[in-house]
Amino acid sequence: MIELRGVEKTYIRGAEQVHALKGITLSIARGEFVSVMGPSGSGKTTMLHILGCLDNITSGEITIDGMSASSLQEPQLVEIRRKKIGFVFQQFYLIPGLSVFDNVSLPLLFAHEKKNHAYIQSLIELVGLNHAAKRKPHQLSGGEMQRVAIARALVNNPKLILADEPTGNLDSENSDMIYALFADLHKRGLTIIMVTHNSELAARAERVVRLKDGLIVRD
Amino acid sequence: MPFLTFAFRNLLRHKVRSFLTLVGITASVAVLFSILSFNKGFEKGIVKELDQTGIHFMVVPSGCAHEVASLVLHGAIIPKYLSVDVVSRIRQLDDIELVSPILVAQLPNPAKDRVDLVYGMDLKHARQMKPSWIIDGSLPARDDEVIVGAEIAAHDRLKPGDMISYPNKSRSFRVTGILQKTGGQDDAFIYMPVKTAQLLFNKPDGATAIGVRVAKPDRINAVTEELSAQVPGIQIVTMGQVLSSLMSLAASAKVMSISLAIIAIFISTVGVMNAILMAIFERSQEIGMMRAVGASRLDIFRIILKETILLTAAGGCAGVLLANIGSHGIELLLRKSMPYAPSGNMIVFDPFLAAGCVGFSVLLGFLAGVFPAWKATKISPIEAIKG
Repeated sequence: MIELRGVEKTYIRGAEQVHALKGITLSIARGEFVSVMGPSGSGKTTMLHILGCLDNITSGEITIDGMSASSLQEPQLVEIRRKKIGFVFQQFYLIPGLSVFDNVSLPLLFAHEKKNHAYIQSLIELVGLNHAAKRKPHQLSGGEMQRVAIARALVNNPKLILADEPTGNLDSENSDMIYALFADLHKRGLTIIMVTHNSELAARAERVVRLKDGLIVRD
Repeated sequence: MPFLTFAFRNLLRHKVRSFLTLVGITASVAVLFSILSFNKGFEKGIVKELDQTGIHFMVVPSGCAHEVASLVLHGAIIPKYLSVDVVSRIRQLDDIELVSPILVAQLPNPAKDRVDLVYGMDLKHARQMKPSWIIDGSLPARDDEVIVGAEIAAHDRLKPGDMISYPNKSRSFRVTGILQKTGGQDDAFIYMPVKTAQLLFNKPDGATAIGVRVAKPDRINAVTEELSAQVPGIQIVTMGQVLSSLMSLAASAKVMSISLAIIAIFISTVGVMNAILMAIFERSQEIGMMRAVGASRLDIFRIILKETILLTAAGGCAGVLLANIGSHGIELLLRKSMPYAPSGNMIVFDPFLAAGCVGFSVLLGFLAGVFPAWKATKISPIEAIKG
């Protein structure tokens, strides 16, 4: 599903040149559940940006679902983000003025697709919020907000879920609930890549990749 | 959920800010619409009033253009008089259809504790001089008969056949007709034969002005030139000159009022841009998230632009509505800034002008929204993931 070959990423921060990734080679098969761990500054978030077609690589080769993403222009990258990838963020980023239902259906607006009401409702039920479809984000708990964000990530029926510290703002009970949801999605055949600092949760994934100083130190 | 609904809901998230921005646009569009309506009504009103005079030019004592214009249209009181001799000299000219001396003066009315305005004219020429008049009753046939304007008739509850007395002048007049409401100052006059007025005011040969109608309108210039050459101390004012004189008198007020409207619109446009830029700054992470979940730069541009256009379109419509609701008050205010204004309502709803004002507001919204929308497209989706 995903191939990284000798991927390097260098960027400028002030007067300093930062080598965020120093030649990463990684292969992730369809349907894998991969946890990415590492200390701050190890390059795990940069790697997630690159896997999500949000950032360019400095050198190397990246292939997503058989398509080389290294040479793609912005419109093609947008199409990949729309159709193949679902994002889950630590901060949820739900739109305050929209209901749970509208937040979940938001990516459809950008994909210029129409899905029926029942489909969106089924995703809301999948994350266990069928009672809260009309609620606004401020009426939800942190765990509920993250479940809405997961439903939103699923609405375009992606093959890959990228989650950046999805339990970083949650207590252990809600963290377990969110992890269980990812595990369920994994069972349904989705490829999941989850960046986390939580070693206990990371250990539950079928594969753990550890990064340090821009290199994979354990896989 | 279409883009427009999404943009609308985004505006609702900051109700106070959106409302205040809307108020700014509403006020400036209301000012613009009112001023443009007023100016349009002003020109129409003057042309209409001039058309209604039924004469081609006025002969008046030499004086200022403003006085002449007021005299022609509203019967202003000018403390200068022409000799009736001028009337006979005008009549001697070729191609003269009508010569009608006018004497306008104030007549104290102690019984009512007020001063009445008297308009002496050759009433057999009333149909030509005042073609728009509708009279309930008949025109005076005798020297002691008058017709009265609608305002005076309403105030004194006069009807044809009633008497008006001026004990101070030892005169009484029988009302033969009531002038139906004209909406102008004609409503405030008492009309009597010019000879009666001349006797009443001890000006046996005096006239405030002489209205002239030429048999062949293409001879107006030739007749006025001939008259100017023959009679010194007079001023001849054609209706065209009155029109241009009034227009130039009003021009500076118009320029000032339109300038004020443009400044108000500029300020509100900057206000819109500022409000949208603030919203974008606050929502940069959210915009980054939208980019991450599939929004293209064009999608972001469209959302922001639609928010701006929604705001200005709503403000434009509300402004036009407000201007219509408050047209009476606005007209009173604008009239005070004009050196002369024709009678009747001038702010009349014009759908094309209303559509133009709303369209202009939307255009400004588009212009005000382009920069913030472009800024929004530059937000990196990575911002969202960084948190």
